Parts: sequence; structure tokens; C-alpha cells
Amino acid sequence: MKKTGAQIIVECLLEQGVDTVFGYPGGAVLNIYDALYEYSDKIHHILTAHEQGASHAADGYARTTGKTGVVIATSGPGATNLVTGIATAYMDSIPMVAITGNVAVDLLGRDSFQEVDITGITMPITKHNFVVKRVEDLAGTIREAFRIAASKRPGPVLIDVPKDITAAVTEYTPADPLPLAPLPEMKEETVQQAAQMLKEAKRPLIYAGGGVISSGATEEIIQLAEKLQAPVCCSVMGLGGFPADHPLFAGMIGMHGTYAANKATQEADLLLVAGARFSDRVAGDREQFASQAKILHLDIDPAEIDKNVHATYSLVGDLKRLLGSLTQRIPEEKHDAWLQDVENWKVGHPVPPQDNGGYPDPMAIIDAVRARTSDDDIMVTDVGQHQMWVAQRYRFNHPRTFATSGGLGTMGYGLGAAIGSKVANPERKVVLFTGDGSFHMNLNELTTLASYDLPVVVMVMNNSVLGMVRQWQKLFYGYRFSQTDPHRKTDLVKLAEAFGVTGMRITKPEEVEEVVDKALALGKPVVVDCQISPDCNALPMIPPGASADAIMMTMPDPTV
Amino acid sequence: MEEKVILSALANNHPGVLLRITGLFNRRGFNIESVTACTTEDPKTSRMTIAMTGDQSQIRQVICQLTKLEDVKKVSLLTKENASHSELLLVKIRVDNGQRSDALHIAYRHGARILDISHHTITIEATGQSGQIDELIQGLQKYPVVEMARTGITALERGDGSIADHDGMDR
Repeated sequence: MKKTGAQIIVECLLEQGVDTVFGYPGGAVLNIYDALYEYSDKIHHILTAHEQGASHAADGYARTTGKTGVVIATSGPGATNLVTGIATAYMDSIPMVAITGNVAVDLLGRDSFQEVDITGITMPITKHNFVVKRVEDLAGTIREAFRIAASKRPGPVLIDVPKDITAAVTEYTPADPLPLAPLPEMKEETVQQAAQMLKEAKRPLIYAGGGVISSGATEEIIQLAEKLQAPVCCSVMGLGGFPADHPLFAGMIGMHGTYAANKATQEADLLLVAGARFSDRVAGDREQFASQAKILHLDIDPAEIDKNVHATYSLVGDLKRLLGSLTQRIPEEKHDAWLQDVENWKVGHPVPPQDNGGYPDPMAIIDAVRARTSDDDIMVTDVGQHQMWVAQRYRFNHPRTFATSGGLGTMGYGLGAAIGSKVANPERKVVLFTGDGSFHMNLNELTTLASYDLPVVVMVMNNSVLGMVRQWQKLFYGYRFSQTDPHRKTDLVKLAEAFGVTGMRITKPEEVEEVVDKALALGKPVVVDCQISPDCNALPMIPPGASADAIMMTMPDPTV
Repeated sequence: MEEKVILSALANNHPGVLLRITGLFNRRGFNIESVTACTTEDPKTSRMTIAMTGDQSQIRQVICQLTKLEDVKKVSLLTKENASHSELLLVKIRVDNGQRSDALHIAYRHGARILDISHHTITIEATGQSGQIDELIQGLQKYPVVEMARTGITALERGDGSIADHDGMDR
């Protein structure tokens, strides 16, 4: 049947099972929005306040469901506003398809109004991108984009569609989604060799990353850890991939990870790395990282092997299958003394409580939320101290319940991502923990919360300073607080109300339980201004570039 | 230990493919010494030949990253031993009266061709391995270069095999 390019775009989204898209209209996408109007009973479009919010919403949608998130923006500034969201998804391997309009083909390259070379701009932050210059290529390109976004290591794909292509008419034939790229085959002898390394280990440790979540390998990694009797630590991206309440969980690894996880990395004789990439926030000192251990690296992406830290042996493939077949090939192991060591480090080296100077303790606030949410509810964060506190404290037990910008560290990610998470999971509670710094970046999306009446609970850990950068200034810049003490005058309760959202406030420790109770029971969008100390720090901390031996459990005394 | 290698890549003959490949080198911090790109016997496919220097792990990383590009269909590693490689030089030198026969003699001795002779200049074309090209330039050193262009290395595997036979880095 004959369809316009715009209708073909929407038909192709339906082919992929897409029922929700995020975006913002504009001149170059008028035809696409006209088609969305026509198909509005089949595709739900969420209008954000800014394209960046839409891109983070598509990301939150994808992270919490595993489905590919879709975002639509117009040409020029609409497209460039997606860039941070696309880069965030790229760094964390989140499947996303971004569709941008552009000026008509005969206006391309002439610096036309709202023209930008968005494929050139996004080349380094997408798995692939396309410009469609013939309407006949449109359907095939969209199908290919979805295949690329979800295949192997997922990631964002951008399709740039000039306006005349969305108006042009061509024959459209429905088709099923393309099969994903085949996963690498497992070679029997290599899996056997890896299993042999596990069998020989006396002090095995598992370091699980985001790959465990994207391949859906949680059950497999639990079974392997239990059979191998190996403690497990997770990167920020891996949290929820292995249950935090499991006795073998040693905590988060890396810069703000637990003493036990980092100490175990230094003491292990075998490190099984599952779907992780030795980021500098985990392996600050690449030479000293896990220096006593043989490293067995499992990943779907061969480019991750030996990229940052050299692996003794590696298997490239789907983690779910690799972990499952490793488990089959090892006997029930026992490492009681090693597990006891790790347990002693866990019990013996908690983070000492910090003096909050009469302000509410952020940990108590997180605990209060934890007590009122289930393992399936979704926590979203922005970036900074609050992000690390939630990562350390919340105890994620299920995959896809934690949405945070791990790789890019995008302040301003949270509110958009929380919107996408809530739209995707209306039956679950969604709580956004943010800081006053991050929140100020994209708080415009409160209007989206209000418009769609999305009952997201926004907990603003308001310490009135840019806490994480300020913490680094304390540690490495002699307490010279350059531009990190804004002490903004924003009244967050009034602000929320101005947007049509309920506002609440916590100023004293004794208010925490009651206010959190009310906020979570409200069933409406709500902002809670949690006024915490400007001097509560994210601890433990391993200084950048240092090995785990340099872990700080408390802040050094500035007077010494 | 750093070594010089030649990567040969088959890619979709799309606009922007060269940019994707060179952009990858740039952002990962790898150095390209030369790159040549041209269509192949199949007009839908182009071949890029990239000369680079790096240690073993960098070379492996480059190959893995190149292979991840959607437009790249195949990457193979060519070395001095397993490949025939060649580049083309065009050089225009200034030659005063009385020096012309000496300059022509040097060029012929290096197996070069003369493309153009004008009142004050000679334009020389030479093909060969990079070392041979370097030797020719060295031999002509006493003559001022007016301008010069080198294509960079292009290479094919020796023997009966071709890039199509490699499976290790296949998509």
C-alpha cells in the first residue's frame, strides 16, 4: 500500500512493537507528528519540556524494561539537544533509536534554517547512524536501526530524515523485525579452559558489570557464584544484576565501593569479570588492579578484552550462555577461609557514620525510602554524592531497578530518566534521588511529571553545594571551594507547586520517616526538598588513579 | 614493542565511511601514518588500506574497534612478510640548466618515470615500497622540491589467499 515517509516511520515503529515514544515537535518533523496524530490510538507520545529530557526518558524506559527506547526530535537545535542523552546511552550500552528531522534534501549542506549535521555530530556516540535520502530506503533503514540498537552489545542508533522524505509517498510492505545479529558461538575447549581456571582458584572473586543486566544473566551468575562459592562485587552498572542481600555479595567495587569488595580484588587469586570494562572508576590504577589475580574476562564485545586491563584468558559471547555453561563444568567448590576473610572485611570495615551537624542523615533518608519500597520498585539517580549514597546504601536485589548514568556521569539525567521509567512501569513505584546541583540542570521536566500526572517521588538531596566536586576540592585542592558553594535561593517547595507538583520538605532528622511516608503514599508527583548537611561526603573513596590500598574510610583531617 | 603494520579493511562504499574510520582512530588516540581508499571489484565495497604504528595490544584494539563499525565488513592485518605493498610518488623538482641529465639519471636508476619536463622543472612518478620511494627522494635531495604528493601505502596479501578468506575478524 502507498504511504508517506512519515506514515512509514510510524508503521515501522509499530512493527517493532513500539507503543511509547518520547519527543518534541518542530518544523522538520511536522509530517512525522501529523502521522503520530493519525496513529495516536496505537502509539503513545510523551511530550517533554526539552529534547534532552526526552532522550533521557527514552533511556530510562530502555534501562528499566530492556526494550529499545525511542526518541523523536526536530532538526538543528532539536537534534543537538539529544546529544547528551545519546552519549549517556552510548556509554552505558543502552538500546535507543533516535529519529531526527532535517531540512529537505535539496537544502542540505546550505546552512539552511535549523540545519545541522547531526550524523556527523553523533558519529562517535552512536553504534551507527543513517541519513535517509530516498523514501524507498526508509523502512529498511528503520528496521536495520532497531536491529543494530539491540544486537550484541546494545547502544543508540540515530536516523536523520529530511523533511521531504517524510512527505514523499512510496509503496510500504509490512515486515517482521529483523533477527538480531547472531551471538558468537561458544567453543567447547575455550569454555573448558576457563572452567579449569575456576577449579584451580583458591580465592575466586566475581566482578559483575552492566553486561549481566543487559544479557539477563542474573540467575546464571547467582548459580555460578553459589557453586563456585565466590564472593561477588558489582560495578555501578552491575548493581541489581546480583542481589545485594545475597550472602555472597561483597558490595560495590571501585572508587566509592566497599572496603570488602576492593580489598577482595587485591587479595583474590582469580577475578572472573562478567560484562564489565575496568573503567577508571573501578581500576584507578590499571597496573596494580587485582595484581595477585589471574583475570578471566567474559564479554560480548571483543574490543573490551585487554582494552583497559590485560586478561589472562577471555571468552567472547553472551554472558547468559557463558555463565551457564561454566557452572555446568565446575564441581561444587568450597572456599570457606576466603569467604570468611571477605565476611570479616565486610563486618570489620563499615563506613563510619558521619557527623551531620543536626541535619537529616542522607543514609536515613535512603533507608526510609528502602523500607517503603519493594525489590521491584525503581530507583533513579542523577550524578554526584547522592548517586553514590544510593548505589551503596539502597541494596538493589533485582536487575533493571536502578537507572543511573554510570559511564558518562550526566548531571541532569535523572528527571527525564525517571519519567521514562514511570511511563514504562506504571505499576511500580519510581523514586528519583537527585542533588540540588543535578536537579537545577533539568528541573524543567517537572512540567512533564505534572502534565501526565506521573507519580514519581523526587527526593532532592539538597546540601546547597555542588557536593561531589566540593568533596574533591576538600581532598585535592586545599578546601578552595571554587564555584561549588552556590547556596541558591530556590524554594523547592514553591517551585514544585508552581509546576503543579506537590512540594514537601525535610529539615530535621525527626521529620524523615513521616515525610517519606507521606510522599510515597501520595500517588501523585511530588518533590521532597531534603535539606542535608553541605559536608556529608561520599565515602569510602579511592583517590583517582590510585589502587584499592589507598582507600579512605573517612575524610583526612584538614588541619594535619 | 611498537611495530608498523598495514590494516586492510573492506567496507560499504557509502558516503562517510572514510570519516567513520578516521574518526575512530582520532578519538581512540591511534596514529594513522597513511590511508588509501578506493572502490573494489565490487562497486558496493570499498577497500581502505591503513598504515599505522602501535604495540600488539593497540593493534588488536584497533582491529576490534574497526570491526565493530557497522559499515566495515572485514579487517585483516598485513605485515611485510605476508603482503605485497606499494605506494605512488609524484614529485616536481627544480632543475637548473646543466643538471637535467644527472636528475634524469637518478630517476631512471630508481625505476621512476618522467611525466613532464618543463623549462626549470622535472615531474617524476615512481611506484614501489615505501623504502624505495624514500631512497628516490633521498637521491634527489640536491634538487629543490617544488611540490610532492605520495599516495600512502596500498597492499594485498601475498599468495592465493585474499581478505575474504579471513574468518577471525569477520562480522
